Amino acid sequence: MKMHVLVNGNAMDIDSSRLDAVLEVEPGVYSVLLDGRSFEVRAISQTDVLNLQVQGRRLSAEVIDPRNRSRRERSALGGGRQNIVTPMPGKVIRVLVAEGDRVEIGQGVAVVEAMKMQNEMKALRTGVVVEVRVKDGDTVGAGDALVVLE
Amino acid sequence: MFGKVLVANRGEIAVRIVRALRELRIGSVAVFSDIDRASLHVRLADEAERVASYLDIESVLAAARKHGAQAIHPGYGFLSENAEFAAACESAGVTFIGPPADSIRKLGSKTAARILAKQENVPVVPGSEEPATNLDHARELARRLGYPVLLKAAAGGGGKGMRRVDRESDLEAAIRDASSEAERSFRSGEVYIEKVIERPRHIEIQVAADHHGNFVHLGERECSLQRRHQKIIEECPSPLVATNPEMRALMGEAALRIARAAGYSNLGTVEFLADAAGKFYFLEVNTRLQVEHPVTELVTGLDLVHLQLRIAAGEPLPFSQEDIAWRGWAIECRVCAEDPEQNFFPSPGTIAQLREPGGPGIRLDSGVYPGWTVPLEYDPLLAKLVAWAPERHGAIMRLLRALDEYAIVGVENNLSFFREILEDRQFREGRLDTNFIPEFFARRTRREESPQAELAAALAAAAHSKNSQPETRNQQQETSRWLSQGRSELLR
Repeated sequence: MKMHVLVNGNAMDIDSSRLDAVLEVEPGVYSVLLDGRSFEVRAISQTDVLNLQVQGRRLSAEVIDPRNRSRRERSALGGGRQNIVTPMPGKVIRVLVAEGDRVEIGQGVAVVEAMKMQNEMKALRTGVVVEVRVKDGDTVGAGDALVVLE
Repeated sequence: MFGKVLVANRGEIAVRIVRALRELRIGSVAVFSDIDRASLHVRLADEAERVASYLDIESVLAAARKHGAQAIHPGYGFLSENAEFAAACESAGVTFIGPPADSIRKLGSKTAARILAKQENVPVVPGSEEPATNLDHARELARRLGYPVLLKAAAGGGGKGMRRVDRESDLEAAIRDASSEAERSFRSGEVYIEKVIERPRHIEIQVAADHHGNFVHLGERECSLQRRHQKIIEECPSPLVATNPEMRALMGEAALRIARAAGYSNLGTVEFLADAAGKFYFLEVNTRLQVEHPVTELVTGLDLVHLQLRIAAGEPLPFSQEDIAWRGWAIECRVCAEDPEQNFFPSPGTIAQLREPGGPGIRLDSGVYPGWTVPLEYDPLLAKLVAWAPERHGAIMRLLRALDEYAIVGVENNLSFFREILEDRQFREGRLDTNFIPEFFARRTRREESPQAELAAALAAAAHSKNSQPETRNQQQETSRWLSQGRSELLR
């Protein structure tokens, strides 16, 4: 059985037999042995996208399990929706996209100011903007969706 | 010695002080704001008391009275350089662990400190002694000094109220901005004007003085690597001083002249700017323990917080200048919840996972634990990672090794950024100045993602998503239990 995994936007097919190389050593911490090399991968679940850390670098991943239809429908390959949320409360300084725009991974969609600093919120996947939920000057709370991609 | 001391601070420095107190068998009283009830310093202290704010003098003194603390250690920031607080402690009969209120007043204003330095024949950056009050006066002064000039808040620090001005046409707007920023941050809009020293290095001297007239300096620290005018990497010795050894004695003597003139006691730091030729200029005095004090501790073998407590208790310095020796090299990284890729934007949030480094030559002064939420109300400093080795290269390699072990998940942080800086050729060669970080951003080349690491990430993601599905979760847990049983059998 194969699973489709998107790592930083690169699609990979993972045969489930390869999961023998993976051991969860602590909650959310995976030891992976590949050709004798030892990697440690740390995972934090988010709604649709996993944030991973390996060798001090951060990656984002999406898993599409063919057995799990609902997951597939929400995911990038299945054409599901994804909210871009702000991690902290602040004020929307500028919305950088409009409905119907096509965005690439890593492209900024809005600038939010918090603690006197401006932060660009980025798309975690490629898609089309189907909804812009905020406008310039809006106050937003942590976890609020700014833009919805499909 | 004191029986009980209140620590009027939070985060890693409160933890650092509580540790020193326990080593000296002194009772510790932590204080906490409502946001900090679950903070590490509260968990580690013997006693704890809520305060309205770390800046609320009455509230802190009331906590000291209630718990019977004989002395207060202010740490850095908050009330540490507040002369009124030091005076309030004195009149409340509680020992303020720091210099006398009068010394803080003399050295607290940058303009007053400059005048003092000049009187003591310590070179200062050419500039104005009195605040620039009106524009005509400022214009004339800037013209005399020659552009570029720097505007600085008289009461300030941390880069607030600071502006570089390259031409006269920019002066008026810059004064307005700097003054209003200074007003907001320090309740004093006074700014003064200095000549800009090109490619300056930030080098500071640690001084110590007791109540018996003994003064020593503990050598220098180089803190040239700064972002937003705040230090992020500090080291002892300074690579510049290492190649100009006479600088340490010259700067040390200059710093002690200023400390003596201010009637100083306890620990303090005299900051200088130095140019590539080793010429140095007095900058300001920090009348408190510095964030970066561990690099001095590792190289001199002294414990500076112990020393502060002993001095405050009236003990004489247990050594003289000739006894101070500098051995090896120490470098510190300030680990912060901030995103270097987003102009060091602070990143509060919950620390989902944490693995802290250890091993030979590594010291970690941390104020956090897994599951704790970094509040957005305070400074984003999480911990200080410090390495010591017999020489600089060894200290760098130890830091890199420790950074590989270090993992913080849940908040953005600067661990990867430190890895890149420590690999940078210019850093390795010790060619540092306060423009280093912006220039580093311009020249850096990003490392390629390794395909193998990506595959490992994909596999872990697949395993993680399988685990998160309810029907496979139980099975997985049973396997884990079986595995852990097997492991404990092996360890028997």
